[in-house]
Amino acid sequence: MRGISMPSLAWRLGATVLGIGLLLNGSLRMSDDVWPIGPMSQYAFSPSGDATIVITRVEGQLADGRRIDLPLRVETAGISRAEIEARIPEITADPSLLRSVADGWTSRHTAEPALQRVWLVQDQTRLVDGSVGTTRLVELTSWQLPS
Amino acid sequence: MTLRSVVSWFMPVVPESRVAVLRTVIYLFVIIDIHLFVRDPIPLSRHPELYQPLMLERLLSLPPPSVPLTITLYLVLVVGCLVAAANVLPRLAGGVVAAAFTWWTAIGMSYGKVDHDHLPLVVALWVLPTVGVIADRWRSTERSAQAGWALKCIQISVVFTYFLSALTKIRSGGWSVTSWPESSILLWAIVRRPHGLGQFLMPYPELLHVMQWCSFTAELTAVVVLWLRGRALLAAAVFWMGFHVFTLAILYIHFAPTAICWLAFAPLERLGPWMRRVKARRRQRTGRRSTGHPVPVLRDHAVDGRG
Repeated sequence: MRGISMPSLAWRLGATVLGIGLLLNGSLRMSDDVWPIGPMSQYAFSPSGDATIVITRVEGQLADGRRIDLPLRVETAGISRAEIEARIPEITADPSLLRSVADGWTSRHTAEPALQRVWLVQDQTRLVDGSVGTTRLVELTSWQLPS
Repeated sequence: MTLRSVVSWFMPVVPESRVAVLRTVIYLFVIIDIHLFVRDPIPLSRHPELYQPLMLERLLSLPPPSVPLTITLYLVLVVGCLVAAANVLPRLAGGVVAAAFTWWTAIGMSYGKVDHDHLPLVVALWVLPTVGVIADRWRSTERSAQAGWALKCIQISVVFTYFLSALTKIRSGGWSVTSWPESSILLWAIVRRPHGLGQFLMPYPELLHVMQWCSFTAELTAVVVLWLRGRALLAAAVFWMGFHVFTLAILYIHFAPTAICWLAFAPLERLGPWMRRVKARRRQRTGRRSTGHPVPVLRDHAVDGRG
């Protein structure tokens, strides 16, 4: 059996206690900002039975007149829905930030006609007494691509 | 409870070959992870305007991600993981992978979305190099408390992923134990991720509440797993794997980086001898066939046609 020295044992014990303490502190007091010792916040909130569920999407108008959905996934737009949702206030204040989606989608769809305009939209679904109610489309902002 | 018993709980003496096998699995998994799970740092680094550094990046004054930086990190990770998976230069290669993967993942989470399925994997990458060189790697017969401590840290981080998730649910519900299980969170998640089984459950909100109570209770009591042994531990591992398969089926959410770290509970030291036994048996079988009775093969002509 390999031996273990006192200092070696002490730092390991200290690191374990410190790590557990930081994790508990992160979950009980801190925000996502302190990752990897932040709270386990995914799906950890409690929407009520009459909450509004939003699905954020980006739509684009092509040069041939079609208005299509630009799926917010890494493989289709280079960025995912969660990243766009996290920046909604910034995007509505400065719609040119939608350039990230437009550029990501264009570079992955070179055979498609050019994008002319993009919209940040939301499908808002109301819950009624804990069951799914009606859905409406809400336009948050749009951005005309420079020609 | 004496100090000795506390120390031996945190640092049980275990076979080092268990760590050697786990290193191979974990480092190879990291290569899969950067291609399938945290796969967006390179495309995200093209959008510096959306970057908001986490506290870790601010504290260490890490430069904002750029394409050359993320590609370099990617290459370092691939090479480092291959070296570390072979249990070669475990401290150096393992340390480099730990730092590079932490940075890589932090970049992936600096654009608004923070996942919490990577805690055990990040912990594993930081503690596995501390065991140092394991002579004979998978074949090692050495045992040590250093190996036991590394595995215990990974085990704690695995069960804490569930337990702390329950704590966060209690906190976000205004320190109420019932608010999350009685909420419409599963319905909310299924509407946003309408995949597979989940859509069939949408008309049954009461059933979704029962499922929420089950998962919340399991998460809150997950720490018990640290004291389970033998069949009880196996049953717990099977339950949690089933839980992850279930969330994958109804929400298309996997917890692969956490699930892989469950191997820290497994007697992986048996893998090496088992593989050697299988190989020996195969060799024996092949050898017996070659020295056994010759079997005539119809129309078995010599290739030169002279037969």
